[in-house]
Formats: sequence, C-alpha cells, structure tokens
Amino acid sequence: MRFARQVWVVAFKDLRAELRTKEAINSSLAFALVILLMFSYAFDPLADTTREMSGGLLWIVFAFAGTLVLNRSFARELPNDCLDGLIAAPVSGAALFLGKALANFLLVLAVQMVSLPVFGIFYNVPWTRQLPELLLVMVLGTWGLTIVGTVSSALTVNIRLRELMLPMLTYPIMFPALLGAMQLTAHLVGGNPIDEDHYGWLKMMIGFDVIYTGVSMVLVETILVG
Amino acid sequence: MRGAVLNLMGVAAIGLLGLNHDSFTSAREEGFFYIPLAGVAAIAILASLVCSIAYLRTRNLRFDSAAVAATEAGLAFLAAAIVNGCCLTAYASGRFWSWDSALTSALVCWLLYAAYLMLRQSVDEITQRATYAAVWSIFAFLDIPLAVGAMSWWKPGVHIPTSWTLPRVVNLGALLLVAIVFAVVRMRQEELRRDIDSLRRSAQ
Repeated sequence: MRFARQVWVVAFKDLRAELRTKEAINSSLAFALVILLMFSYAFDPLADTTREMSGGLLWIVFAFAGTLVLNRSFARELPNDCLDGLIAAPVSGAALFLGKALANFLLVLAVQMVSLPVFGIFYNVPWTRQLPELLLVMVLGTWGLTIVGTVSSALTVNIRLRELMLPMLTYPIMFPALLGAMQLTAHLVGGNPIDEDHYGWLKMMIGFDVIYTGVSMVLVETILVG
Repeated sequence: MRGAVLNLMGVAAIGLLGLNHDSFTSAREEGFFYIPLAGVAAIAILASLVCSIAYLRTRNLRFDSAAVAATEAGLAFLAAAIVNGCCLTAYASGRFWSWDSALTSALVCWLLYAAYLMLRQSVDEITQRATYAAVWSIFAFLDIPLAVGAMSWWKPGVHIPTSWTLPRVVNLGALLLVAIVFAVVRMRQEELRRDIDSLRRSAQ
C-alpha cells in the first residue's frame, strides 16, 4: 500500500511538472505530426496498400515521438541536483522507477491518442473498427516502450550524447514487442478481430512487458545508486 | 608464459581446421563456417552475461574486463557469421539479404551488443561504466529468445543450413580457440587501459 502511494506521488510529481512546462509533450506531438506528414511524400497516402502498412507506420510514429518524452524523464531532474534528492528520498528505487514509468506511459499514450485519429484522417484508415482490441495493443506496446525507455533514460542521464544513446538502446531491445504491435495493429486496422494466428503475438507482448518490468524493478536500484 | 599458451592455442586451431580440410573443399558443406561462427558468438555472449552478473555481485573490475572482451569477440564472430550467411543466402536465392529469420535475429543481437559497446564508450567514470554495461548486458541477453521467437513467427523461411554435423562441431572447437585468444588479448588490453587511466588520474 505504501509502495503504491510512493509510486503515485512520483508519477503525479512528474505529470504536474510536465503539464506546467509542457516541454516534452508539445515537442513530441509536433514531431509526431511532422513524421505523419513526411510519410505522405514517400508513397501515395490514399492507396489501398497504405492500409496494409498502417500498423508499421503508426508504431514508427509512436516510437519516435515517444523517445522525446522518455528523453526528458530523468534529464528533467538534473538541474538543481533534483536527481540526487530523489535518490536520497526515503523511496525505494523500484517505486521511483515505476512512478516515472507510469507518468511516461500516460504522456506517451496521450500523444498516441492525438496522433491516431490524425493518422486515420490523413491516410483514410478506418481505425475504429476494432477499437477495444486496438486500445489493448496500444496499452501493451506503450507499456513495453515506456519501461525500456525509462530504464534507458536512467542509464543515459549522466552520459555524453544522451539524446543519441536513448534510441540506440531502446529500439533494438523493443524489436520483438514493436514487431508484435505492428503485426496486430495492421491486422486490427484491417477490420479483423484477433484470431488464433495472432494470439501468439499478444502473448509475446504480455511476456515482454512482464519480463522487462520485473527485471527493471530489480536492477534500477543498481543503476541509480551504482 | 601467457604468449606461449596463446601461440599453442593458435596452432591447435589451425590443426583442427586442417582436419576439416576435406569437407571445406566439398560444396555440400555450405555451413562450414557460418554455423560454427554463430555458435562461437553465442558462447561468447553467454560468457559476457556470466561475467556481467559476476561483476554486479562482486564489484571486481576484472569481471568487467572479461565481459567487454567476451562481448567484443562475440560481436566480431557474429559479424563474420552474418556476412558469411549473406553469401550463403546469395548462393541459395540470388539475393544477399532475404530477411531470413536466422540472419535477421542475428542482426538484432548484433545491434543489441553494439549498443552495449556504445554505452560503454560514452560513460567516463570506471565503476559507473562497468555497472551500466553489466546491467545492459543482462537486458540484452533477455531479449535474445524473444527476438529469435518473434523473427521465426514473422518470417519462418530459412535459406541457409542450421544443423550441426561433425565437421561443423570440430570447426566450432577451432574457432572457439581463436575467440579465446582474441578475448584474452583484449582483456589484458582493457586492464592495462584501466591502469593507465588511474595513473593519469592520480597524476592530475
């Protein structure tokens, strides 16, 4: 119970700081829109084949835009030595990490909730046909992205080339979960429910989320304290 | 003494490769290098994981040197396996890259461990570098079964041989000796570099 309260306090602090400055969410949203526009240069936006690729395109947008939010997660704590204060606070590393991951998850999900309808309008993709299942896939994929991204953010906070290193660490690790999310999204956007063939992907995404959440919570104390 | 042992291992590796000479010239043995190279890379990556966990438990920097040496040797062998696999794919299907599940998952693993080396490069403080690298090594290792599984669902086709035969196993032994020589030399280099760094720091 105490752990849950600590997680919530950290998450709420991060969300409040972000909503006051809006530095990560604004740049992330603008970036998502720029990528959505740029895709239209590469191929015919209204062709039927676009719908088949839509899962992949959408997750590329989510992953790129999400990194901007994740980059700020720990970097935000650097001025005034706030990170040292947080580490010294009577809160376990796991609670601190989970709080930050929860805040990032909500922010990245918010960016996705804006860019998904825009994507639907720009590329004439009927994304509402399997909405509950699509939302489930988005929640699972985004949780994987934020867990791996928050750990990478903690790893890269004090190093040179921080902005470059975060995607270099996050994207290769995300490969199985992103592949699953892309396959399922393309399938659902096509109006098909999740069938026998696609349950495997869903299970793999859940497995990915559980494994990395568990391992991150165990190892994050080592990363933060050394 | 160390040099003599390393030389002997090199000679033994050449001897083992020589034993396999007949199958090397036979066109049937397409996986002569590719499969043992990938096998050696897998062993090196496993060794890197063990050393990383040992470092986190003991905080002895020798384990960190061993982990980075094993990872670098593994990456070199994995790169060689991927290039060799590309040539085999070109031989079988006329294209160098046909999104073969084995080769693509090997590429993902290569990128995971390349990120490990990049992470090391960008951290200056020695113990922090060792800790971050060890944590990343565990993360990367956990991803391998998921990545391989995901790839085999996504593109089940395999154009290159993946089974073990006796000449391939003998070749694994030979290449493993070469990898151990690489790793020992690299580990020594890493320890010397750490000594020089600490000397430089104390002189400042």
